[in-house]
Amino acid sequence: MNELAKELKAISMDDHIKETSPSKTVLAVKVDDLTVAYNYKPVLWDIDLEIPEGVLMAIVGPNGAGKSTLIKAILGILKPLAGSVTIYGKPYHKQRSLVAYVPQKGSVDWDFPTTALDVVMMGTYGSLGWIKRPGVKEKKAALEALEKVGMLPFKNRQISQLSGGQQQRIFLARALVQDASIYFMDEPFQGVDATTEIAIINILKELRKAGKTVIVVHHDLQTVPEYFDWVTFLNVKKIATGPVMDIFNDDNLTKTYGINYKVSVQK
Amino acid sequence: MNSAQFEIQLIASLVAIACAIPGTFLVLRKMAMISDAISHSILPGIVVGFFITQDLNSPWLILLAALTGVITVALVERIQKTGLVKEDTAIGLVFPALFSIGVIMIAKNANDVHLDVDAVLLGELAFAPFDRLTIGGTDIGPKSLWVIGTILMVTVGLLIAFFKELKVSTFDPGLSASLGFSPLIIHYGLMTVSSVTTVGAFDAVGAILVVALMIAPAACAYLLTTDLKKMLGLAVLFGVFSAISGYWLAHWIDASIAGSITTMLGVVFLFIYLFAPSKGLIAVIYRDKQQRIEVSLLTFLLHLKNHTEERERHVNHLCEHINWQKVRSQTVLDLALKNNMIHINKNIVTLTEKGDDFTSQAIDYIITNEDAQIEDMKDDFFLFRG
Repeated sequence: MNELAKELKAISMDDHIKETSPSKTVLAVKVDDLTVAYNYKPVLWDIDLEIPEGVLMAIVGPNGAGKSTLIKAILGILKPLAGSVTIYGKPYHKQRSLVAYVPQKGSVDWDFPTTALDVVMMGTYGSLGWIKRPGVKEKKAALEALEKVGMLPFKNRQISQLSGGQQQRIFLARALVQDASIYFMDEPFQGVDATTEIAIINILKELRKAGKTVIVVHHDLQTVPEYFDWVTFLNVKKIATGPVMDIFNDDNLTKTYGINYKVSVQK
Repeated sequence: MNSAQFEIQLIASLVAIACAIPGTFLVLRKMAMISDAISHSILPGIVVGFFITQDLNSPWLILLAALTGVITVALVERIQKTGLVKEDTAIGLVFPALFSIGVIMIAKNANDVHLDVDAVLLGELAFAPFDRLTIGGTDIGPKSLWVIGTILMVTVGLLIAFFKELKVSTFDPGLSASLGFSPLIIHYGLMTVSSVTTVGAFDAVGAILVVALMIAPAACAYLLTTDLKKMLGLAVLFGVFSAISGYWLAHWIDASIAGSITTMLGVVFLFIYLFAPSKGLIAVIYRDKQQRIEVSLLTFLLHLKNHTEERERHVNHLCEHINWQKVRSQTVLDLALKNNMIHINKNIVTLTEKGDDFTSQAIDYIITNEDAQIEDMKDDFFLFRG
């Protein structure tokens, strides 16, 4: 395990050395003093977070740590109690076209009467704006995205007839079709088989190679060093954020999860 | 058919269409009970509006009463947000309160108001043709026809304009919000349309039928299609069918039109619930039976594949070996023979090449759960249709 981990670490170091050089760091997302509360009980407390452009970042933390809430607050889906968020220096509502969002798979009703292609087309709605309808161009983009995630043969399948992994690929295709600069994904690996997980992470790595910023709520700590080059530890408060090789260690894991952790990469 | 009969059917059909459109989205948003709440709680709005305008078909009355409907939704959400009770409880708290206020207001002012509780609950469709709209002395048709016609045109216009917004916010509110289509605005837009439609239809068909016309056609359509546009079309079709057939049922048995239309909605739903091709009760029972047989077949084929010794593959011993009764073994054996998956030589069963391939493929699928490989097997076998 340790040998493998070292190897993986070496690979991921190679991958992100250029992105982390401080001289040309552009901030994709900046979160200042963000506090979010449900019924006056804070679920995120005074979060400061800077996400540099071009990283593939995992947000990790225990259940109820506010990982999904953080994404939703950044995207303006939840109204924060305090604090502010900027995307490339401007508020989110002015930068919508730069951002794609993949909600948790369980947050939608998969019995909804629609097809895989139609769900992917929804990704184009943002650039269309109100009232205007998707046309040939949007359909072509959606078909290309389906192709990329290997779901083209299923384009006319009703979404309830897809397996969990296929549904997640459809969601990913819908984000790809948005052709954004920043991708937020809420647990894209939840309930998917190993093949799909690899397919998804490969696409995410491709996105990063193309200079995109990808932010993923992630649960499987074992795969963090293998999949990601940047990580944020969250548990209501921000514990740490930075390159995986610098901060993914027992100390931060213990601070975040509250129990002694010995799974991480050895220094 | 005289002109009054025609007008009644026309009004009933337009009401059905106007209800089916918001109804489809209410059903998909799992908010069917909200339409019940709206239809009852607009009563005080109608009564107050009637005091002010003295005209049941006045646009002001309709807007005022529709506002009560939207307030109902807001109140329900407010109570729900406290986290003290669930949504259905919140609905159950709000609408009887508002409805009873309306009932008391009618009772206290019975002499001045041409409204009674019967009419409120069941409508007065039969009298609709007698309340005419005249412009400069010319009769241009029943008032309620114009009211519901106008509402329907606005509803259809909004549906066409905001179809994609309605779809995305119903399917995935999170994405909708992140794209800039506020789910809250769309939600209250839909609630406003539902309220206006309810008020407009209220006078003609009453509080109970409005709910039925919103929910039943959409529920029928939901069982038949996997396409939102088709679902809307089918809901409209079932609504109109029930409206017209209900009218003639009432004519035939000399009963309430509203009651007969509601009955027809129930009959149509029952029929579709039984006979819908893939989600219907009979289809489900048939499919379960087929699947049971096919799983047995697969078990049987796998047994043959795993055992080369003749003892295990002797026709007479098969039922012992896989622990089945004779009848079931016979059915499975026949099915396998019919599909050329086995051949029997001197009472020893052997897999054919086709049977062997099929078994490997099927096992592969079950182990990997990879769909692509078995696309072409799906037509022959229920088992893989999910």
